[in-house]
Amino acid sequence: MSQPEKKIEDPDHLVLQPRDVRFDWGRTPAHWIPGEVLLAHILNVTHMILPEIERWFIRVFSAALPLISSEKVRADVRGFIGQESVHAESHQGAADHLTRHGIDVTPFTGQMEWVFQERLLRPELKGTRARKWLIWQLSGVAAGEHFTAMLGEYILANRKLDEVGADPVMLDLFRWHGAEEVEHRAVAFDLFTHLDNRYWARVITMVAIIPPLIWLFIRGTLFLYRNDPHLPPGSRPRMRELIRLLREGLLPPVMWLIKGTLKYLRRDFHPSQVGSTSAALEYLATSPAARAANH
Amino acid sequence: MRELFSGPPDLRGRPRQDRMLSSVMAAVVGYENALTAVDRMLRAKVPGEVDLVDEDLRLVIAEVRVEAEDVVSLRLSSPDGEALPRWQPGCHVDVTLPSGKRRQYSLNGDVRDRYGYRIAVRRIDGGLGGSVEMHTLTEGTPIRVSRPRNAFALINLEKYLFLAGGIGITPILPMVRAAERIGADWKLVYTGRSRSSMPFLRELLDINESKVDIRADDEVGMSTGRELLEHSAPGTHVYCCGPIPMIDAVRAEIRETGRNPLHYERFSPAPVLNGKPFEVQLARSGRTIQVGAEQTVLDAVLPEVPAQQYSCKQGFCRTCKVRVLAGEVDHRDGSLTARERETEMTLCVSRAAGDRLVLDI
Ligand SMILES: [Fe+2]
Ligand SMILES: [Fe+2]
Repeated sequence: MSQPEKKIEDPDHLVLQPRDVRFDWGRTPAHWIPGEVLLAHILNVTHMILPEIERWFIRVFSAALPLISSEKVRADVRGFIGQESVHAESHQGAADHLTRHGIDVTPFTGQMEWVFQERLLRPELKGTRARKWLIWQLSGVAAGEHFTAMLGEYILANRKLDEVGADPVMLDLFRWHGAEEVEHRAVAFDLFTHLDNRYWARVITMVAIIPPLIWLFIRGTLFLYRNDPHLPPGSRPRMRELIRLLREGLLPPVMWLIKGTLKYLRRDFHPSQVGSTSAALEYLATSPAARAANH
Repeated sequence: MRELFSGPPDLRGRPRQDRMLSSVMAAVVGYENALTAVDRMLRAKVPGEVDLVDEDLRLVIAEVRVEAEDVVSLRLSSPDGEALPRWQPGCHVDVTLPSGKRRQYSLNGDVRDRYGYRIAVRRIDGGLGGSVEMHTLTEGTPIRVSRPRNAFALINLEKYLFLAGGIGITPILPMVRAAERIGADWKLVYTGRSRSSMPFLRELLDINESKVDIRADDEVGMSTGRELLEHSAPGTHVYCCGPIPMIDAVRAEIRETGRNPLHYERFSPAPVLNGKPFEVQLARSGRTIQVGAEQTVLDAVLPEVPAQQYSCKQGFCRTCKVRVLAGEVDHRDGSLTARERETEMTLCVSRAAGDRLVLDI
């Protein structure tokens, strides 16, 4: 009964609330990691894709709200929606910052808008078929949230980015976002299982979303290289650069990503089994953007 | 340009649709068709719209104890002696009083006690009546309690500074117990008017007398933010709960020194200031509702439109923005752009500038 405890139990049953963060891009250069163009552009892809993806999360979740019978799940979903909305706006701010510095991202974000605001929701579907597609989209959000939680855990623990002199405001954006992703990592999964607990549906969706996600990152990185006026004409990302970044621990290790993805495919998987809410809340208590929100 | 083509705009600005993206979306449509076929084959169930299920616990008051001047603690347990849902330091429950009032209380017992939740209430005469009613409840009274939720989570650290003022000791007490159990380097500064008004002194001293600093106003005077934080090493996380002036003093001090990460419980959104009553017409249903001077549009709209979106209730997350069809808006949010303000408003904080609004909901 009273064996000594070594650690405070990881917090659970959290009341999720968005935080009113502020980012001041005034001192952030266009190339915000000195000498690391490829790394910065891979990370910049998130500013181009996340705002529309997160707004899609919100639309899908809003449509699902009336189907939820649990007060707890409903409260979590409301908190989740608010947090994702602030994420979308904050990455949008970083994307606008790139555009102001001559890297015009609007053709790419225009396409993202077309996919995620118009086509993916399939507004032409009606009745139960629309409802079924909604459920499938929810499984997509749950799978996507597994990646954001994994990457959140990664960015919170990564010290290499500080060592190479990455811009502190940009790092704070990634870490604050990563921390809230870890904080709300179970919400999409819980919502999906609350409405539809088919294990194989979860597996199919996870397998289905991986290729388009990788494709988006490649397409986005190539786009940024083509449209970056600060680079010599004809610059292209090089494979040996990518390998160096992986070797130096500046990008998440591929094996770690694969293992993390496989965990999601286990029948008894639940997001609470991975990541640390405690570490996420510890970062949020020190994040300059989140602290500014307390004033 | 976009209207000319069925596909997405081209990535290189050429006047044609993006073929690659169009084929990806065609694949999505094919994928949905295939899933629908499989769903039909397996006769997948389709969830429909539902009402909320009541998840509250039905407990009884098992014990009432006087803890200090005007403070009682209530131990709530299951009428048939069952174990209660687990909780962690910082958790609170919503208690529904016999009169129907709903109040939030921090759980302040021991997390290892699986059969009772303990809450403590200070009686505030001339308040909204919740605390006075709580003080009339006797052992055996049935009481409805929500499941524990945490808005003040204790994280795993090596060092803590706990600051509590008066009844604000309630969420801190289980934290202190948890910190002592893991052998953390912690300190508690506990303030109050006088020792006799401060609940749980004995319990705290029993946990670890050497780490508890009791500062009663009638002995040492009111403590300033600086005094409360004076022994904290830079970087030590501070957990603070107490009257608003105390939290404000601690926040101001930390804002100045920047030395400590601060955790405190975020309470319900700020009350409506300088509000006037007005009328809102809901264009989609044609209904008209009244918004009181101290009520937000959101609170007035929710009973009519339960599916209405909202989240932060403070005007920054943009979740509750809706189109305004008629009427001047008094914009009180910090998130809509000037252009958005021409046609939209946030329901959670913004109001009518005149006496009527027509909203597209
Ligand atoms: Fe997010
Ligand atoms: Fe998320």
